[in-house]
Amino acid sequence: MNGFVTGFLGDWIGAIPVFAAPYLLATTGLIINERAGVMNLGAEGIMSMGAVAAVIAMLSGLGLPMAVLMGCLAALGMTLLFALLTVVLRLEQVLSGLVIFAFGVGLSGVIGDSFANQPIKALGPIYPAAFTGLPRWLARFTDQDPLTYFAFILPFIVWWVLEKTELGLRLRSVGENAPAADAAGVNVMLMRLGAVLVGGIILGLAGAHLSLVGSQVWVTGMVSGRGWIAVALVTFARWNTLRAIGAAVLFGAVQAVIPLLLSSGLHVPIYLIQMMPYLATIAVLAASGMGRLRASAQPEDLARPFLREERR
Amino acid sequence: MPYRLVLSPRLAVPRWLTAATLIGGIVFGLICCAIFLIAFGVPASDLGNEFILYVFGNSAGLDQTLTRAISLTLVSMSVALCLRIRFWNIGVEGQLWMGALAATAVSIYQIGPWFLRMPLMIVAAMVGGALWCGLAAVAKVRLRADEVITTLLLNYVAYLLAQDLLYGHWRNAADQFPMTPVFPKYEQLPNFGTWHLHYGLFIALIVVVFCWWLCRYSRFGLLSKAVSENRTASRALGIPVARITLTTACLAGAVSGLAGFSIISGEEHKLTQFVGNDFIFPSIAIAYLGRANPIGVFIAALAVAGLYTAGDSLKAFYQLPDTVVVTMEAFLLMTVAACDVFVRYRISILRQRPKVATEGQKA
Repeated sequence: MNGFVTGFLGDWIGAIPVFAAPYLLATTGLIINERAGVMNLGAEGIMSMGAVAAVIAMLSGLGLPMAVLMGCLAALGMTLLFALLTVVLRLEQVLSGLVIFAFGVGLSGVIGDSFANQPIKALGPIYPAAFTGLPRWLARFTDQDPLTYFAFILPFIVWWVLEKTELGLRLRSVGENAPAADAAGVNVMLMRLGAVLVGGIILGLAGAHLSLVGSQVWVTGMVSGRGWIAVALVTFARWNTLRAIGAAVLFGAVQAVIPLLLSSGLHVPIYLIQMMPYLATIAVLAASGMGRLRASAQPEDLARPFLREERR
Repeated sequence: MPYRLVLSPRLAVPRWLTAATLIGGIVFGLICCAIFLIAFGVPASDLGNEFILYVFGNSAGLDQTLTRAISLTLVSMSVALCLRIRFWNIGVEGQLWMGALAATAVSIYQIGPWFLRMPLMIVAAMVGGALWCGLAAVAKVRLRADEVITTLLLNYVAYLLAQDLLYGHWRNAADQFPMTPVFPKYEQLPNFGTWHLHYGLFIALIVVVFCWWLCRYSRFGLLSKAVSENRTASRALGIPVARITLTTACLAGAVSGLAGFSIISGEEHKLTQFVGNDFIFPSIAIAYLGRANPIGVFIAALAVAGLYTAGDSLKAFYQLPDTVVVTMEAFLLMTVAACDVFVRYRISILRQRPKVATEGQKA
């Protein structure tokens, strides 16, 4: 038993935070968007841009902090475009999201083409010495890089802002009932713009985490559906960033077991194993749609553009 | 801020305005694409050459464009059918793979006599695609699972299933590549003379005409129009909303499945890894550009197929990566959709008046 814990199970548990962090960051960013009533289906594209920009910055010798910053800035650029389409021009949010998805995935492929498949220096753990007394699996679990730590702290900050501050109240009111919020003097457009941009920066962090910590290389199309899974995790977490931690850890665990199974030497069907995260997402989406819980948690004005002059 | 941007909804939209914004959007989008290509090292003087002369001007280009248009028309029709009842079908690639897999299964396990083989493959492809899209529709109707995400994730599942078969049971034992043996002649759609263009064109045309009839003249088309306008009111009127959603989704899946059949039987003549590549966004862009109207979709599919032909030669001559075409499509859809704002709203920039004391404050 002890051998099993330190062996397979230990490796699995130790790998979970790194796999869960991008999901957690992306889900947190998307929750901020959706609580303000904006559904951002462009997450996949925005994360791709974040991932590729971070790698390009690293390969150009800008250093890690700049790489993270560049990832956020690239994501911010994409998000500005999304905000222009949805918040300012009031286009249908699903369509705008799909455009950003294609644009981000396409553009990241084009600009990242000459930087693809070149390994970069890892963003590694910060305090390797601090956890020496612990068992190896626990040390691997707790000893992480700054971006992963941040991913697990951020949901608490966002939860506090959304639930406990006036800013959060205003933001939620815009998502629940935009005309009422407007009548109460909240600037709906500004609030949604702010939520979309902040959410976009966090999506950029998720992308940067994928390439700087996760794969440590840029491969075209490497986000491979994680942005979409994050969109589904928002529903699974019922629009609550604290529940998002549990959702992200669950999906991180599913994702983390794949490379372990593949390298374990067991005879497993590799392609069928890789289906797991996608099938699990569909399963939780179907499960969380059934109860009454979802109906009460979903922001009322989600994906509904607001224009004062328009009849509802 | 002394000025304020005001959007006021239009009640009546003149026809010329709709046409003008569509053309304006396309032109603006093409200008964006041109700037984008020039920024990535394509000489400006070559653009006209690549885009117009090669795509439609010579027989090799025209052949490639028309062949590509077959599968693009089918998958886009699938999206358009769903769009008409406001069901987002982002899973055409998965449905296409399932259609191709089902048709290949008929071929590999030699189901039916040889003269019935092709019709059986067509039916199998339609059933495979219909099941895959129907799955998402059932999840939406019964479990309220958002179809945008389920259809999209089913793409990955279908792709991985195909990889499993191609690297496993279905792999041709004769060589090491992940592909099935070549289909016998009676399972291949005939070509037009020496061209690559094949009889799948007739399948696409039949589907276009059928969908046009369905949307325009059938009872089903009328009911689905009601569903798209207002789901709640339709339900109150006794229209079977769930059944219409399911039927439309299965029909759309079947059409995508046909695209899979057309590719393996008409173009590749075997199942390969490259059957269902890069169809998700083009199908959405085409369905939207064609205004979800079957005839419009066909025209838009021809135009976007031309974009792919141009993209192929750009890739060959300027070493641009595969994703350059999808980026151009995103530019086009973005500008066309953004220009729609002029159709829906009257845009005015008002000078904000200084605050005047109201009656209430005087009293």
